[in-house]
Amino acid sequence: MAHNILYIEDNPDNMMLVQRALESRGYHLLKAMKGEDGVAKAESEQVDLILLDINLPDIDGYEVARRLRASSKRELKSVPIIAVTANALKGDAEKALDAGCDVYMSKPINIRELWARVEAFVPTS
Amino acid sequence: MMPIGNGTHSQWASFVKAMTFSHLSHLQCSGCGKEYAHQEIHTFCPDCQSPLLSIYDLDRARQETDRDEISHRRKGMWRWHEVLPVIHPENQIFLGEGDTPLLSLPHLEEQLGLSRLYVKDESSNPTGSFKARGLAAAISKAKELGVEKVIIPTAGNAGGAMAAYAARAGLEAYIFMPKDTPFANIEESRMAGAEVVLVDGLISDAAGMAGEKARAEGWFDVSTFKEPYRVEGKKVMGYELAEAFHWQLPDVIIYPTGGGTGLVGMWKAFEEMEKVGWLENTKRPRMVSVQADGCAPVVKAFEAKASFCDFWTNAHTIASGLRVPKSFADHLILEDIYESNGTAIAVSDEAILESQKQLAKAEGIFAAPEGAATLAALKELIKQNWLHADEQIVLFNTGSGLKYLDYGSV
Repeated sequence: MAHNILYIEDNPDNMMLVQRALESRGYHLLKAMKGEDGVAKAESEQVDLILLDINLPDIDGYEVARRLRASSKRELKSVPIIAVTANALKGDAEKALDAGCDVYMSKPINIRELWARVEAFVPTS
Repeated sequence: MMPIGNGTHSQWASFVKAMTFSHLSHLQCSGCGKEYAHQEIHTFCPDCQSPLLSIYDLDRARQETDRDEISHRRKGMWRWHEVLPVIHPENQIFLGEGDTPLLSLPHLEEQLGLSRLYVKDESSNPTGSFKARGLAAAISKAKELGVEKVIIPTAGNAGGAMAAYAARAGLEAYIFMPKDTPFANIEESRMAGAEVVLVDGLISDAAGMAGEKARAEGWFDVSTFKEPYRVEGKKVMGYELAEAFHWQLPDVIIYPTGGGTGLVGMWKAFEEMEKVGWLENTKRPRMVSVQADGCAPVVKAFEAKASFCDFWTNAHTIASGLRVPKSFADHLILEDIYESNGTAIAVSDEAILESQKQLAKAEGIFAAPEGAATLAALKELIKQNWLHADEQIVLFNTGSGLKYLDYGSV
């Protein structure tokens, strides 16, 4: 059965690119365009990995990561979270890791690297 | 293509001349291999978001281009125009870049117990650093493609170089720099008419802001590896080295690595020269990537045998050109180091400063901290017995120490 990857991202172009890339590798993508929707989806569905944009229209990615780690759903304390962002503020990577993300990737996302990072957490076979 | 029989003889002659001026064939994605036309403006591969590289018709270069004839041309980077991306000679922006000296280092040889130690001293490039090469190529090609406004995030020297070449080309320039960038870089950029924005952060932060500005206002982003041509200018360092060593490559190249354009470019040059048949043998140098221990993503990835770098957090070093938390071309840098049987090594700021003084005192070369880092790395590699005393070793000094005086490094 395909692994579920939740991508929380408000930019439709990025969403489409990542969807195409991950589905081509046999992953199933769950989508959320806002932070709070992403938290809700992670709590209500089986999620094996989360890709998390930092600049979201409601709560930012740091807050999303903190809420996921503090969730009453036990699995979310350890689900891998990859922060994916083009943020332009000093210390982004540090803040993302402090908030509970496992890996920080900067945009533009190199698809081969994305595959490698995702595969390291949730192997396709 | 101009149809035969439609146009004057001189038009046809100039057309043929233009066609053979560069053997550029197309662009190719370094990740997925997809091809793109070089006659259009491209950034990086939209499909897999990897850097695009210039591919040349090297069979034709082999037939038409004589390496020894190139040696007799006017000095400078553009004498290698057949393997550079500018199609029409009038679009070359030339400020004297290239053909930097390859100097022997007799006193350091004696001090370190080596017999064939050299430095390729890039400080004599326009604007005082190797960045001139990449920006000469990128701005020339941008002009050829009709770009009018260029933007760049930079740790320093690339900004000054872009401002200079953009001024010469008549392009508008916008530059994002960390606020602690050396004063010389800020001033030279402003002097050349560029709009300079100082960012409270690292080059990665500047890159984010420049990218947003580029997307929002249609400026052409000349960030490292986010357009295909800076690496083409840098690769000429590899051609010059081969020529200087009589078409055999040195045993070891020790190179400071921030964005990695020079390392990737030289390796590309070696491949091209091999295909064109210009090299006397197939021996390649072992490539040593030098970083600062306060920002060493390539070293960390190399030690883990990884294909990509992790983003380096809390990056800090006095060598501003090495303060790159993650290169957009990290996978290319790592591939080339692995393929060359090379290594990656981190050195401390203290070792950089000590080596800067040593290089100046022993050989009269006032190197940039990034260049001095290669001497610090050399000394470490000697301690590790990674080198043989009789090997041909080339250090790269990427710029002039005079541009870093506000660091109080002397």
